[in-house]
Amino acid sequence: MATSVLLACGLNEQKLPGFVHISEESNVDGSFLISCILGQRLRISNAGTLLVCLQHHYQHYFNAGMRLGYNTNIFQGKTLNVIDVLSDMASEGLSCKWLKNPDGLTLTEQLVEDIRAQVESNYANRNSYTILIDNLSILFNLGASKLQVQQFCQDLASLAKERDNLTVITKLSNSDIYQPTDNNVAKLGQVRIQVVRLKSGVFREVDGKLLIERVLDEGSYACEEARKEVLYKVNDRNVKVFTPGEVGVKV
Amino acid sequence: MLSNLLVTKQKVVFIIDELNRERIALRFIDSLLHEQGQEAGTIKTLPIGNLRHVSSYEALLNECGNNNNNNQSGEAADFKSSPTTDTGSSSTKAEYNIILPTLADLLCYQTPAYIFSFLNRLRRSEHVRRVFLWASPQHLQHHHAQYILAGCEYLAELILRLESETLLSLISRKPGGGVSNKRYACRITKTEFQVTPLDGPAAVGSPKQPSPEADQTAEPASSTFKIELDEDEVVARNALTLPYERTSEPAEGNIIYTPDADDDFDDEDPDEDLCI
Repeated sequence: MATSVLLACGLNEQKLPGFVHISEESNVDGSFLISCILGQRLRISNAGTLLVCLQHHYQHYFNAGMRLGYNTNIFQGKTLNVIDVLSDMASEGLSCKWLKNPDGLTLTEQLVEDIRAQVESNYANRNSYTILIDNLSILFNLGASKLQVQQFCQDLASLAKERDNLTVITKLSNSDIYQPTDNNVAKLGQVRIQVVRLKSGVFREVDGKLLIERVLDEGSYACEEARKEVLYKVNDRNVKVFTPGEVGVKV
Repeated sequence: MLSNLLVTKQKVVFIIDELNRERIALRFIDSLLHEQGQEAGTIKTLPIGNLRHVSSYEALLNECGNNNNNNQSGEAADFKSSPTTDTGSSSTKAEYNIILPTLADLLCYQTPAYIFSFLNRLRRSEHVRRVFLWASPQHLQHHHAQYILAGCEYLAELILRLESETLLSLISRKPGGGVSNKRYACRITKTEFQVTPLDGPAAVGSPKQPSPEADQTAEPASSTFKIELDEDEVVARNALTLPYERTSEPAEGNIIYTPDADDDFDDEDPDEDLCI
């Protein structure tokens, strides 16, 4: 269903890099990548996953998962844990801890606390642990500043450095105005996936392009990087990828 | 090598990186220092986890001073530095190379005013030999990023601008007030950073259009005087301590005098032996 796109991104392995960042350009949606990665992590036995829902609530990921061929409800509470910020806000209103700032903690500090608590209680029982955060730019809408978001990501990156087999995967819609924040988050990790629209316009067979940058080795003066570029199309029940130039050439 | 140009007697080195290499900033500067034979014990950094608290910055300054006096500080463990191995030399001279976190990371936790103040204190500290600060404009998200960059340039004595994969410029402010702005071609690999000066004023200066008159008066290639220095000459020049610098060193001076048999050390009449 989504194996090809994960293969193209190098995220189909059991052991993932410590920090992976997905940058989303204006007018494209990279949420399918979160669903694809979530499905892949859930299929690995004894791999823990924490899903932090900021852009979509949990029900969205359940529905997307059903279309991609996995059922998140089976795993929830076992290998899958969820911090559903949006649903909490909808059900509890202004008394919700995300809006009330209890103990003087900001929204991002509160999130870090909760993520750390989840990791503390679940990490030891799992072979590997993945934290999926979709989507950092929603934090701006909830009142966080750019600096707070950067600090939040640095805290997450240090969490990943503290533990082996812990992976943090973030996504940020840069909306053409958060590019420096995007760069600052991307530098924390080894893999950056940029979801960009087609420069030539809209095409019915291709939704956009994935630019994948992977740091292979950090030298003293330059990094050795692998770059890959693929086109993608999100269908109803799967995601297809193409090599640039492949689409339309049919013999 | 780039390290020959950057690891000099100038104290504040500011690196502006247009190539988005911020992730290797620390390693980059560390390699420059190691190439010039700076020991690991003389290199100090501020870990990113400590940037939130002002006390960490103060502790770094204090630690430089305390270590210089060979006093062990309890806060020393907060900073990444190897223990100094030499026992004699460090007690007389304060010679720490401070590698600050990148400007984007500093701005994430502290105000520009505090950063400038801290940079200035490092510059004035007699225990600090060099301070390195790295800034990538693409990573600066402060509203007044341009002004902050300009402020850092104002405080710096050496400003390296990595313009492209093959080009860099270096502004050097000398203690006497002289300023030079040179451009270099560069060749970067994972482990080496080779630089070659771009010859001629046309290559060094701003994009001026050369006039025909200037072409006529241009210096011939086989000039009597050789003005440019090659790499080995730069190294030799940097290594040389000039006589006036030797005399200005704060080492304690002792006059060693072996008295003759006829010497008379009568304090009441010190000129008695002059027969006047």
